[in-house]
Amino acid sequence: MLQVKAGQVEKMGLLFERYHRPLLAFFYHSTSNATASEDLVQTVFYRMLKYRHTFSGEGEFRTWMYHLARNVLADTARKNKPSAHHQDIANWAEKIAGGASADAHLQRTQEMAQLHQAMARLSPDQREVLVLSRFQELKYEQIAQLLNTTVGAVKVRAHRALCQLKDIYLQLDNGSKVQKL
Amino acid sequence: MEARFRNCEEVQQELMDWLAGELPETDKQTMAAHLAQCPSCQHELDSLQQLWTNMGALPVPAPSEELRPNFYAMLADFKAEEQRRQRWSVQGLLQRLREWWQPAFAQRLAYGAVLLLVGLGIGYGLKGREMGAGADESLAQAAPSAPAEATARQVGLISRLNNPSAVQRLQAVSDAQEVAPTNERVLAALFSTLNQDPNVNVRLATLDALAGLADDPTVRLGLVRSLAYQESPLVQSALADLMVQLQERRSVRPLRKLLQQDNLNEQVKNKIEQSIQSLSHERAPAAPPTSSNSYETLPDNPGTLDTSVAT
Repeated sequence: MLQVKAGQVEKMGLLFERYHRPLLAFFYHSTSNATASEDLVQTVFYRMLKYRHTFSGEGEFRTWMYHLARNVLADTARKNKPSAHHQDIANWAEKIAGGASADAHLQRTQEMAQLHQAMARLSPDQREVLVLSRFQELKYEQIAQLLNTTVGAVKVRAHRALCQLKDIYLQLDNGSKVQKL
Repeated sequence: MEARFRNCEEVQQELMDWLAGELPETDKQTMAAHLAQCPSCQHELDSLQQLWTNMGALPVPAPSEELRPNFYAMLADFKAEEQRRQRWSVQGLLQRLREWWQPAFAQRLAYGAVLLLVGLGIGYGLKGREMGAGADESLAQAAPSAPAEATARQVGLISRLNNPSAVQRLQAVSDAQEVAPTNERVLAALFSTLNQDPNVNVRLATLDALAGLADDPTVRLGLVRSLAYQESPLVQSALADLMVQLQERRSVRPLRKLLQQDNLNEQVKNKIEQSIQSLSHERAPAAPPTSSNSYETLPDNPGTLDTSVAT
């Protein structure tokens, strides 16, 4: 990234190849919308180019990248109604649930769909901390830096978010079983 | 045991480290000890662990085929736009200078500069040396076209003096008079014609031409020497006349030699004798112009002294 900052813009291709999948996952877990996520990934890379002078080179690149990604996400969240996401994920879940059978694979898929749905129902803050730690595999220290808070606070938030997720998941699980019955 | 003193809340905080795999080994052991004694914590850990693992298995749709091309298109657009924008900005110029100025390039540039300096040095050295010689040369070459033309004409003249046709040679001799051939080569060619040309008329014409140049001491000497080569009575008498006219006393000896020739024409013999007499006695008594008129009438002079001179 320092090379990109120094004017070698074509080095951006390297960063794209390395990070477009993690970024896509970040946005997908955050928005549950594959198409929108791709646009957001594109936006992040564009902003990396545009704001490359803001990269000091002191912190880790990934922290800076997620800093941009969070801003992009916040911008779109402001523009779009969050209900749209829920609609999307609900459809997906229903689709899978509708075709549910005793097949183990489908059961697994259903579990995943429920978990995904549960994720979507978390508050954005809670979801974010989980996405960053679980999916992006950032260390708590990095997340703390990113969220401008302490490591302890991040851990507490992550723990609470995980417990919350468990509760939602269990609720959904119960709900679907009731539905099935 | 330390673990006994740990409360469940503390454990829950470390739970996240445990899940993330960030928990140090020693803490793991104390935590395991606590979990062994605390079923509720163990239960929570198990459930959260499962959730955590499941989350990791959550599928993420593969990037669509458009994502990569879109990115590179965006990158290309960005670069183009950036270049346009930065071309004339100070920052852009500095940045381009920085890009341009790479160590390898600096080395090459230095190498190039050294070569250039060496080249300039050699160039100046050569030029300085040429300046001395070149100055004369340039003076000599200042009016190169006219002499070049004249030289070409002279060369043509000389070659025509050797032309097999007598008419051509005559023409060449008359041309030589017009050119006023102070050039050595032309003079040599004229003397060669005067002494050796097979045609008497050509030799006479040449003699006329050279007589016009008799002010030149070299020409004069050449004419004196020419006496020894002449066999034709006409040329001999013409030369003898010329010697008298020029008051060239150096010609007395060759004239006397001529007299000793066996086959000498009688008239010429008389003429030469008169000439010798004239040259020997008229020690600058009369101006050449008057003598030039009088030499036609020289044969009328009394020949009494001829014999005395001859003896």
